[in-house]
Amino acid sequence: MCDIIWCKKEVGGKVCDVVNYLDPYCFWNWEGKVGCAGCGAVYYIHMIQGHMYEGPIEKAGEKPDILPLYADKPNDGYDCYMPGVEGRTRPFECLPRAVYLGHADMRKFSIRGHPVRGWRPQPPAGGVAGAYGFFWDIEKLSPDVWAEYQEKIKKGEAKDW
Amino acid sequence: MDEKEFNKMKVCDFEELDGPKSKEELDEMKMPYEEYCRKLFDVGNEFVKPEALKGIRWMSTTMYIFTPHSVANLAELGAECIKVEMPRMGDPMRHTSPFNEAYLYPLHDTRPMTGTGLGFTNANSNEFYITLDYHVPESKRVFYDLVKMSDGLTECYRHGTFDRWKQGYRQVAEMNPRFIYVWGGGFGYGPKIFGGSYDILGQAHAGLSSITGTHEDFGGHSTKCTNWCIDWYSGTQITSCIMAALIWRRKTGLGTMIEFSQVQAATRMCGYTVPLYGRFGIVRQRWGNWDTQLCVHGIIMTGKVDFPDRDNPQEKFESRYVMLSAFQDADFKDLCDIIKKPDLFSQYKTHKARVGAPAQMEIYKAIEDWAVDKTRSEVVKIFKDAGLLAAPVLNDKEVYESEHYRTRGTVRWNDDPLFGDVLIQSAYSAGLMSKTPRRHKWIWRPVGADNIKIYHELLGYPMSKVEELYAKAII
Repeated sequence: MCDIIWCKKEVGGKVCDVVNYLDPYCFWNWEGKVGCAGCGAVYYIHMIQGHMYEGPIEKAGEKPDILPLYADKPNDGYDCYMPGVEGRTRPFECLPRAVYLGHADMRKFSIRGHPVRGWRPQPPAGGVAGAYGFFWDIEKLSPDVWAEYQEKIKKGEAKDW
Repeated sequence: MDEKEFNKMKVCDFEELDGPKSKEELDEMKMPYEEYCRKLFDVGNEFVKPEALKGIRWMSTTMYIFTPHSVANLAELGAECIKVEMPRMGDPMRHTSPFNEAYLYPLHDTRPMTGTGLGFTNANSNEFYITLDYHVPESKRVFYDLVKMSDGLTECYRHGTFDRWKQGYRQVAEMNPRFIYVWGGGFGYGPKIFGGSYDILGQAHAGLSSITGTHEDFGGHSTKCTNWCIDWYSGTQITSCIMAALIWRRKTGLGTMIEFSQVQAATRMCGYTVPLYGRFGIVRQRWGNWDTQLCVHGIIMTGKVDFPDRDNPQEKFESRYVMLSAFQDADFKDLCDIIKKPDLFSQYKTHKARVGAPAQMEIYKAIEDWAVDKTRSEVVKIFKDAGLLAAPVLNDKEVYESEHYRTRGTVRWNDDPLFGDVLIQSAYSAGLMSKTPRRHKWIWRPVGADNIKIYHELLGYPMSKVEELYAKAII
């Protein structure tokens, strides 16, 4: 679902002409004021089940409740405001987790505090034809993780769930 | 009727039937059903029970999720499954991971900085991993040796590729007439024989995406399920074909070729869509979180979230959906009383009246208007207290924390022999079996990890030959 507010407000003798994308308003019933990412004009809208029931009606001098997620100027090349541009668009919150690192997180313990393997680099198998042993003897092969695990057990940080 | 004639009519004798033979047995039979089930399925102790498919050996010359999953099902049921991958590279699925972040290392000795992505999960559990490059002529003999020692294989190459490489059903059936051969792919033979397949193609080509998602009148678009539901589903369908083929082989002594088109399988999930078109010429449309046959029977959005202070957006913004079902007249009346819209019930007294599209639009809007100042858990509690069926739409974290799943062992921690503590569902998400339960042994192993076990220990190749094949990159 994506509805838009195409801002036709004249600013300094020129039409703003910015398309503000309201996504995601999927099956929303929403009423409030949206700010234009281009000129900052504020529009009142009332959506019922995703329909633009009322608006957009310009509300001069009022503060917006929300900013669009993304905006562009289709009549003016490829100019756009990506999500999260300060004062123009709101940030895209649909992240896989709270803190987005952007790189692999080398874990040595699971979320319940038990040791895991799989960080890199791992030592080669040493077997013929890339064959691996069946069992990872953590105490022998990763003594540092084993020692840390013993500490965790003592502190009660290694849990059942 | 004399006694002789009467006895002839009987097909069993009650005296000989199973029944309590002792006080302990009688007590067991009188056990409350819940307790009986817990004892019968004995979740967590699956490994002391026998495996249904022990003795079956299956080759998995597969990639991605769809065809590998058909073999993982067998491996979870106890079959010895051998996953054959390209030397040094492995299944392409190993190189996929959510947002390119979650990998488990190592992939292979020669690539210490490359891992296997979590995208590989569940489709290849419990298997042994060997490598073989079919493109090299010397690999043919190795392949045939494996065929002679196996009950069947699943492959996913383009239609006719294995046949062209002289390792298709026509060739292998002559070497092992009991061999069950599965080809799984996009379209199968026909006008689109050369089309490959992905889950999303199955969802699109079968018409499933066209009926998934919110209706266009509400701004919806054709939608795919975020996860690869058709891959998992089609793989399981193949497994049911394999089970039938195994029984057929027991009767006849002969193998079977199974030709499985993924886009064809996905049409089955469209339900009444096909006969509806056939009889009335109506092309089915999307109806999103509502239902075309029942009302109220859908997912609604509440105005407030359960966890406004959490950092994770999935909790902070998404903990606001409720599954709600109240389609029977009495339930719907209760619902209308709760949302303080008794007139809504007067207007739509019968199910026939409220299942119509305009009625649904009005009813769901009224429920969401009422829920606008409530959280997900408040809405669920209010409906449940009134005896209606309501449940929060859970996220992964809540599934993990669900007592129901923990009791049944659906999601559990597994001490993986290679990768340590791994949270899995895999085998435990596919039904409980009292005598021969599915089980999860290991999540996966590195590429070629079992080359010695299979080539040397099973096929009897001398170690010098294994080393030679490895040096030539044939394995």
